[in-house]
Amino acid sequence: MTKSRKATNRVFLVILIVLAIVSLFPVIWVALSSFKPQNELFSSPMTFFPKTWTLGNYISAISQGNFARYFMNTVFVACVSTVLTVLINIMAGYALAKYYFRGRNLIFGLMIATLMVPLQVIMIPIFLQLKNLGMLNSLWGIIIPPAATPTGIFLARQYMVNLSNSMIESARIDGAKELRIFVRIILPLSQPIIATITIFSFMWRWNDYLWPLIVITDNDKMTMQQALANFVGQLQINWSNLLAMTTISIIPVLIVFFAFQKFFMSGITAGSVKG
Amino acid sequence: MKKLKKKDERIHVRTKGNFHQTLAPMLFLAPNILIFLLFIIIPLFQGLRMAFMDWGIFTVPEFVGLKNFANLFKDEVFLITIKNTIVYSFFAVVLLTVVSLCLALMLSRNSMKGERVFRAVFYIPSLLSMIAVGIAWRFILGDEMGIVNYVLRSMGGSGVKWLTDGNLAMMCVILVSVWASSGYYMIMFISGLQAIPNELYEAATIDGSSPWNTFWRITLPLLRSTVLVVLVLATIASFKAYELIVTMTKGGPGYATKFIVQQVYQVAFQEDRMGYASAMSIVLMVIIGIFTLVQFKFAGKDGQYD
Amino acid sequence: MKRSLVVLFCIFALFSPLFAGGGKESSASDDVTLTVLWFNDANESEVFMDTIQDYLDANPNVKIDLQVIAFGDYEQKLKMMISGGNPPDVARLTTSHVPILAASLEPIDPYLENPEATKAEFMPSMLAFALDKEGQMLAYPTEATANGMIVNLTAWENAGIDVREISKTWTWDEWEEAVKKVIAANEGMKYGLAVDYTIHRFATLLYEFGGSFMNEDQTAFDMVKEENINAINYFKHLHDEGLVPQSVWLGSENPAELFQAGLVACHIGGSWNINTYNTNVKDFEWTVVSTPKGEINSSVPGGKFIGAFKDGKNKEAAMDLMAWFSDKAHNEKYCLDTFNLSSRADAEIEYPTNSAEFAVFQHDLSITPAFTAVEWGNAKVTQLSTFMVEQIVQVLLGNQTAEEACQAIQARSEA
Repeated sequence: MTKSRKATNRVFLVILIVLAIVSLFPVIWVALSSFKPQNELFSSPMTFFPKTWTLGNYISAISQGNFARYFMNTVFVACVSTVLTVLINIMAGYALAKYYFRGRNLIFGLMIATLMVPLQVIMIPIFLQLKNLGMLNSLWGIIIPPAATPTGIFLARQYMVNLSNSMIESARIDGAKELRIFVRIILPLSQPIIATITIFSFMWRWNDYLWPLIVITDNDKMTMQQALANFVGQLQINWSNLLAMTTISIIPVLIVFFAFQKFFMSGITAGSVKG
Repeated sequence: MKKLKKKDERIHVRTKGNFHQTLAPMLFLAPNILIFLLFIIIPLFQGLRMAFMDWGIFTVPEFVGLKNFANLFKDEVFLITIKNTIVYSFFAVVLLTVVSLCLALMLSRNSMKGERVFRAVFYIPSLLSMIAVGIAWRFILGDEMGIVNYVLRSMGGSGVKWLTDGNLAMMCVILVSVWASSGYYMIMFISGLQAIPNELYEAATIDGSSPWNTFWRITLPLLRSTVLVVLVLATIASFKAYELIVTMTKGGPGYATKFIVQQVYQVAFQEDRMGYASAMSIVLMVIIGIFTLVQFKFAGKDGQYD
Repeated sequence: MKRSLVVLFCIFALFSPLFAGGGKESSASDDVTLTVLWFNDANESEVFMDTIQDYLDANPNVKIDLQVIAFGDYEQKLKMMISGGNPPDVARLTTSHVPILAASLEPIDPYLENPEATKAEFMPSMLAFALDKEGQMLAYPTEATANGMIVNLTAWENAGIDVREISKTWTWDEWEEAVKKVIAANEGMKYGLAVDYTIHRFATLLYEFGGSFMNEDQTAFDMVKEENINAINYFKHLHDEGLVPQSVWLGSENPAELFQAGLVACHIGGSWNINTYNTNVKDFEWTVVSTPKGEINSSVPGGKFIGAFKDGKNKEAAMDLMAWFSDKAHNEKYCLDTFNLSSRADAEIEYPTNSAEFAVFQHDLSITPAFTAVEWGNAKVTQLSTFMVEQIVQVLLGNQTAEEACQAIQARSEA
């Protein structure tokens, strides 16, 4: 078995390396181009590597506006919103997966249905609603509304459906309260899905453009994605700054990914999952 | 009624008679429901009411009944965008599901060095904002300035009209979408695969089951609920595709890669016909709804309650 | 169920303090904070703040809250703010914003001592964009733009053609003949002309061929006429001949990039390109020449404005600031630092470089028929801008005739 496994590994490795090159090529291109001086970006014949390396694009991207502020705002929003998202999505997923009550399929269906709404279309009613609630120009306005994600609930529910009922039951027989069951039994067993939703949620909030667009106008409360979009004007595009800022903006999401990916692996014991 | 009873027996997590067990799921659901109500559902109804009105953004809405819907089906551009969206979604969803599942299968066996790095590598494209993705690929596939054509020409060939020919442009948009999101769905599959106990695989190996058989008999059935998630999410996402396509092709050449959301956006904000655009979005939502229901019907049969 | 609703409500009540937004507190004194909504092509917001610094020094009670929004979403955001009853005090506007927002913009005339004298300070074509139906000024013109032809001078010299000279009188036929020589004489040059993928840049051709979007009294669309059909057909001819790269109008490649890479001999762009080309083009010489003559010689005017809103909270202060920003000295400084043409008739700007190029644009603008500005001041032209380019692409693809495209545009304008 190990022998055949090794052979499979070798085949897979080749496939994976080829795919990885395809996968990374555009990203590396963006990253390398961000080190090119402006006049080199469109020179012909084009080169993959910069002829002259420069940090100028980074310096001008960072010095434009209030970069540190945008960065901190985005970090704050992404972190707070992710904690909130994970908590309420896991709660909802658990309720939909492990309780049987009237209307639960309807609720689940409606939640999925909210995903089908192209938000761009109802931007104006959303704006008015946020205004009525006094959430305009407040970071809470970009933390709370998108915190309830149908995708997160969906993922959590589908994961928890597979968890064994017997543990919950026996805990109930022992007289454990519902919240206690959730905290003590369900949460620990849900580590992989928590890690998944954390990674996704951080990415969603980090790259979110639509909610900040609706909510934020105040320069002090702008996020990275807004600052990034500002490089695209009516008549001109500031390519070099755009590329530099894009490259910077990938890094935090990558860090979060690496930090959480080990949890995919843990927390699963055979007994906790229905065979 | 009979059906319910059967399920009740199977689930054993009974709620009848116990107050805590009735209230608890409500409380667990409350924050989400509240947010959805306040920020999506209420605005949605306010917005979609406009489908029955003639409304420019600064004008007083005027009730016109079903006129907007009637006009929709005479609007050639709208019909083209529906067709394009369905074609795109079909290929994108199938490819995405297959590719991301294959990646996940290769990368969740815990038997190869560098699995973690590979996962990150395939996930990176979905970290980029769609604007950046669109820009990067325009530079790669551009007729004159694109790297691919540059290489082809310097090898003596002629350039390929990747984004200038309608069919090729559609193909490129589909493949780039697969490139951009397969890492994302791969993660979902991996977390689903991790939940399958190793004992099952070991038993299968002892029984002499081939990897192919093991996949069909053990992996796929147990992965069913994840497959459903991926199918549904990918379908919805591809019906709503917007940023990537706009930055890559602007919907062109002509109408070749123009999808519904782009058209809705243009009609709503550029042509200032909010009512008409609302009618379009209702049609879009109905289409997505139908596809999602179908998926739940077929893929979700067992996965849902087990 | 009732109980759970009660609990729901309690949770909401608990959360609600968090919902409190960051609305600006306005204090009781005569301090004013003016919110200014802006978008950037390059560094305009910084230059704007720079330019009004002396105003802020002179009026210490005035603060500026500058809010920069990406251009792609600027219009939606502005519309949202207006329809929410929350417009900014001052906003930067394009030629298309003025007609679209006309009903929400506060007329400037009542705030002026001598409205007619103030209006006379601006170029008539720029002023035309800013007037409402009663002839009141809705916004101050700031910088002006002109469409025109930018050429790769080095390439033309390589072909032995003095482009500056022949462009003084050339027609499109002569241009075609000459540009073929240029392509032949330069290795790596593949095309004669790139035209930006917008209806505004296409309008350069349209006007040159004697066409127009609207009827003569500017009351309705009038697309189906021979001049327009000729212009579209000529554009198709340029594509079919391979003189214009297909990848721009069909594949959304950026013509400015093709020009910078030395792949095209000419680019129909505009005065804003001077700034970019000045920094980015190092491999060859370039200049601006008059666009070849069709039926007439024409450019297409464009530009930016600043305006205030009817629902604005500090209209007096906003008007005061805008008047200051738009006077001769400040406008000159702003246009100089942003490297733009001025909208003022009396502006005298010494550009550090490229003054010859600016002069050509200015000249082209001066011979452009006046009705063009009125057309672009019509909301319908802007609203149909994407639809129109799409219809023209359908002609380029051979899916319909130029006449059918004109008819489709006409029909959409009446929908």
